[in-house]
Amino acid sequence: MIPDFLTIAEAAKLIEKKEVSPVELTQSRLQRIEKLNGQLHAFIRVLPDEAHAAARTAESEIMAGRYKGPLHGIPIGLKDIYETAGIPTTGHSKVMQDHVPKADAFTVTKLKGAGGVVMGKLATHEFALGGPSFDLPWPPARNPWDTTRFTGGSSSGTGAAVPAGLVLGGTGSDTGGSIRGPGAYCGIAGIKPTYGLCSRAGILPLAFSLDHAGPMAWTAEDCAIMLQAMAGHDPADPASAKVAIPDFRKALTGDVKGLRIGLIRHFYTTDNEANAATHDAIDAAAKQYEAMGASVREITVSPLAEWAAPGIMIMMAEAYAIHEANLRTRFTDFGEAFRDRMALAGLWTASDYVQATRRRREMVDELDRAMASLDLVMTAAAPTEAPQIDEVPKFAIMERPSLTMPFNVTGSPAMSVCCGFTEAGLPLSFQIVGKRFDDATVLRAADAYERATPWRGRRPSL
Amino acid sequence: MTRQEIDAAMVRLGLDVPEKERDELVGASRYIEEMARLVKKPRWVGAEPAHTPAFPPNSKGE
Repeated sequence: MIPDFLTIAEAAKLIEKKEVSPVELTQSRLQRIEKLNGQLHAFIRVLPDEAHAAARTAESEIMAGRYKGPLHGIPIGLKDIYETAGIPTTGHSKVMQDHVPKADAFTVTKLKGAGGVVMGKLATHEFALGGPSFDLPWPPARNPWDTTRFTGGSSSGTGAAVPAGLVLGGTGSDTGGSIRGPGAYCGIAGIKPTYGLCSRAGILPLAFSLDHAGPMAWTAEDCAIMLQAMAGHDPADPASAKVAIPDFRKALTGDVKGLRIGLIRHFYTTDNEANAATHDAIDAAAKQYEAMGASVREITVSPLAEWAAPGIMIMMAEAYAIHEANLRTRFTDFGEAFRDRMALAGLWTASDYVQATRRRREMVDELDRAMASLDLVMTAAAPTEAPQIDEVPKFAIMERPSLTMPFNVTGSPAMSVCCGFTEAGLPLSFQIVGKRFDDATVLRAADAYERATPWRGRRPSL
Repeated sequence: MTRQEIDAAMVRLGLDVPEKERDELVGASRYIEEMARLVKKPRWVGAEPAHTPAFPPNSKGE
């Protein structure tokens, strides 16, 4: 009997020892999807035949002694902006509901190459921006900790599927917080890697200069396993960095002694005020790091709105340019949230966009200066626990400055880490951020925290 | 922005925004204006570059 909940690392150990077969594991996840997807709407397309075939291949390879590593035979899901050969990739939109790509995205090829078993395509906000929406061809994903709650977005299906045990890991994308937001609200680990570490080729874009591809999973260790497979240079993505990829899992020593962490409290105490539960949970997490031998000191940077504004402007202006032709001819084929956000974006001028890019450069320099004598910074990932799904304002991303957007602007590796639960049992999280291309230290700090605290032992009851 | 300004902007953009959504755009236009204000700082004219492309050595096809 395969447990309902397994991490990638746990399942990999069982598969490598041949105590669990990829076929059994895949079948158990398909049964779970069958049982729970009607409540969660995490998947918009399940691929049982393809998953069974991939699992059988993995099993044959492993039985023949060709074990590839910790993703071999592991069921994963793909946000439905990751292109998949011969399988529709819709961006959760009527506008592209018939789009069938000819090739897999670069990262999908790499995940499959590492042995990952693709279970299906996961819900997203429309084109990774417009949501939660109830006027699209598929319903929005629901939070497994309370299905009346929002998952966060836009990697909403991955946020729902991982804690519910429908898959062991999945892909997300993060242009202003779309990995870390669902990570925070759904209580999972999600890393937005350094800009350029993972190729975006074959992923439907939201905004080319801010889009990041990355993994979401139950633990930092599982994110490290997935990131190992996803990272790497790709000439098809002009932003793809030609850098050596470290062994991310090897970096997970459990030791944070000597790490210097800057705590940006004003982001969530005054700039976008968090509720008491979030505030207390982050304070406790900072104390936990100190108890483990890291130094934590409060730092002050520009107000959050100064970081969020260039990010939102660049994101929405680039998205408008991408979708302009369809917006002019098929405006009401888009969902209301997406199309009205785009209509607002059209109000900015070309000069506004250029000023935003100039401001971005200044913010990059500011964070570099602030981190000169630090290894990491931490702050909130979201100001509260997940709100009710039907109470998310249409223009929420503009009403309060985003806590996650600063690190899209700077291209820094940033991760959501679960740091407790409200009395009602909803997850709380913080965000840990590193220097560009030091993703390994972010994962190491997140993993050490998870090992030292009890939060990874709790799953939603469904 | 006023409703008239939003209507004019939507005509210029060529967007067929449903009537009931236009008043919401009027209400939300303050966010657009505030963000545009925030990114405009006093800068010397040469205070660039901002994400100027940097081409790798082999980009000429050599």
